[in-house]
Amino acid sequence: MRIATNSYSDSMLNQFNTLAAQQYTLQNQVSTGLSVQAPSDDPTAMQNTLSDIEQQAAQTQYSANISTLQTRATSVDSVLQSLQTVVSQAGEIATSAGSATNSQSDLNNYADQVNTLINQVVNDANTKDPSTGQYLCGGTASGSAPFSTTTDANGNVTAVTYNGNSTVNQTPIGAGLTTTADIPGVNSGSNGARGLITDSQSGADLLNHLIQLRDDLNSGDTTAITNTDSANIQKDQNNVAYQVANNGITQNQLTNASTFASSSNTNLTQMISNSSSANLMNVMVELNQAQTAYQAALESSAKIMQTSLVNYLS
Amino acid sequence: MVGLFNTLDLAKRSLQTQETAIQVTGQNIANVNTTGYSRQTVNITESPDVQTPVGSEGTGTEVAGIDQVVSDLLNSQIQSQNSTSGYWTGQQTALQSAQNGLDEFLNGSGATTGTSSSSASTTDSGLSGQLSALFNAFSALAASPSLSTEQAAVAAGQSVTSSFNQISSQLGSLKSTLNSSLTQNVASANKLLSQIAGLNQQISSTEAGGGTANSLLDQREQDLENLSQLVNISTSTDSSGNLDVSISGQMLVAGRTQLDSLQTYDPGNGNLLVQTATGGADLTLTGGQMQGTIDARDGTLATMQSNLDTLASNLASSVNSIYSAGYNSSGATGGNFFNGTDASDLSVSQSLANDPSTFQLSASATATGDNSVAVNLSNLASTTQSGLNSQTFGNYYGSIVANLGNGLSNANTEVTNQSAVGEMLSQQRSSVSGVNLDEELTNMMTFQRAYEASAQVVTTVNTLMGDTLAMKTS
Repeated sequence: MRIATNSYSDSMLNQFNTLAAQQYTLQNQVSTGLSVQAPSDDPTAMQNTLSDIEQQAAQTQYSANISTLQTRATSVDSVLQSLQTVVSQAGEIATSAGSATNSQSDLNNYADQVNTLINQVVNDANTKDPSTGQYLCGGTASGSAPFSTTTDANGNVTAVTYNGNSTVNQTPIGAGLTTTADIPGVNSGSNGARGLITDSQSGADLLNHLIQLRDDLNSGDTTAITNTDSANIQKDQNNVAYQVANNGITQNQLTNASTFASSSNTNLTQMISNSSSANLMNVMVELNQAQTAYQAALESSAKIMQTSLVNYLS
Repeated sequence: MVGLFNTLDLAKRSLQTQETAIQVTGQNIANVNTTGYSRQTVNITESPDVQTPVGSEGTGTEVAGIDQVVSDLLNSQIQSQNSTSGYWTGQQTALQSAQNGLDEFLNGSGATTGTSSSSASTTDSGLSGQLSALFNAFSALAASPSLSTEQAAVAAGQSVTSSFNQISSQLGSLKSTLNSSLTQNVASANKLLSQIAGLNQQISSTEAGGGTANSLLDQREQDLENLSQLVNISTSTDSSGNLDVSISGQMLVAGRTQLDSLQTYDPGNGNLLVQTATGGADLTLTGGQMQGTIDARDGTLATMQSNLDTLASNLASSVNSIYSAGYNSSGATGGNFFNGTDASDLSVSQSLANDPSTFQLSASATATGDNSVAVNLSNLASTTQSGLNSQTFGNYYGSIVANLGNGLSNANTEVTNQSAVGEMLSQQRSSVSGVNLDEELTNMMTFQRAYEASAQVVTTVNTLMGDTLAMKTS
């Protein structure tokens, strides 16, 4: 085949360009660690990677939401522990006060203890989430504390008003999955989340029951204490126990959701890596091959282009 | 003496022939690096014999012509390949610009040890990340309703709308740029058509006078190849040997005459097309950079713009249908989160942007701490939309990105393939028409030796003639 003189240089230039482009691409893959950077590199892989990155970002947000809820559930748990102590003490007082051996002075002392318990309950029920500053037991009503009290001249609580509602906020913890750590302070209806202090389904009405117990103690009505107040306090104990169990379930659910989000995140990272990451060993081998070919092309071209018939004519 | 004079004349013609041959060799050597140059050869023939009483007597050589070594078949193939290459280059240029405008790239944090590297993330300004961030901001707002999370959600909304606006603006600018490019290509094509008609005239005049127009033929071939890069052409040679050029069935150059030229026109949608300037015939181009530009603009890019508008429209309507039913902390309702109907004018409600605390977060006028709206908004991320081919917002956008990627990937592959074909054809033509210095130097030595020998003939005849004259004087 007849070869024109410039065919050497044209061909070599094309080879240099091709090999330089290969080296650029491979070097770029090594430095970024990615085999896919632009949509045109691999449209399908890019589409999958975008979807995976979106899912990963969502899982990261779910993890943050779960963390917020876990803090909230822990705060609720503290409230419940305190209330458990309160209802336990109230039950003991009701039982002890029902004995005929108590003098009025003893009953008055019990009444003072109950007053303390009432204040404790109000205080617990108005607890805020330390991380968000939101009330834990006010439902979706916002602004003022869930429970406000009316006191007599001695500072004793005579009535309690609930400023919240019976609805609680749900928080996304997964795709289409929500949960809540909140407990409404009062639920007077026949459905929905059970109220922490007052709940018509369980008959719980802790604050009013404590007020009634205190008043019966002050009036020395041991019959009412024995026949009514003890039973009422028992209902409150049961309700608090229910809420404790329910909170435990919520915390388990959050732990599971957190584990799932973390696992999903790991899987998605692997999927993203599979779709878009460069296989470094392969890329390094290919880069070495391209560099060797480039060097060989340079050397051979330098030798070929140095000589022609002119070198041998005298 | 008459015989000696004939021999001297023969030697003179031989010297002239070898001089011409050496001149052509020099021309070839001088143009070894000239683009489009086709090597020339001297057609040396035996000059007519003279009949003498003793028989036919030779008169030496003469130059019958200086010919170009060209392959019309290869030239035709290169023109055709140029049109294909130009088409895909036009597509590649347009789609590459669109990909840059979309700004949807993956970032890597650098290679680590082992067989795979660290994970990818999207660019901060890409719409994919912005959409994801918006729904996650709604999710965060649901988890912790507060002014700061409301502000974050509004800011995420503004980032999304900004990305939509920016991409739409980039596509609009790209459309204008492609129209300008088309207009420039048309101007270049008209210039080439004019040059070809002019060269036809010069070639015809030169050859009519018995000369050769090799350099003009080279120039015309170069012009034809440049023209075919811009638009698919067909050529034919008329009965007088003139070259005619047609585009999409319309003859624009007939021999020495340029019958018509090209111009762009607006069919009514702002997307310029091409027609003949005088005849007004709309041209259906089939190749070349012009058609590549038109197809990219009216195909992949138009679809991309339309799909982005659909995405923006559906996003606005879906978010607004949830958001407008919500109540803010003052009990007000009915406001929209997004304004606008497509990617170009999508924006976050100005009143909400001015005061994020008016976020209509609650599903109830009386429960101002309710977060139902934020929960429902965050659920949109995984909700398929009937207006988006039953895909989620993120997946629909992913398909937009993939469509563009497919178009550009295809164009890149075709450009690479056509480049290889072009190089192969160029090498083939070069093997026929290109200058080989070794060959030329060998030819030069051949002609040089022939010239030296002819000169020796002159010297010998001169000696003989001197001897003859000396016979008379002695």
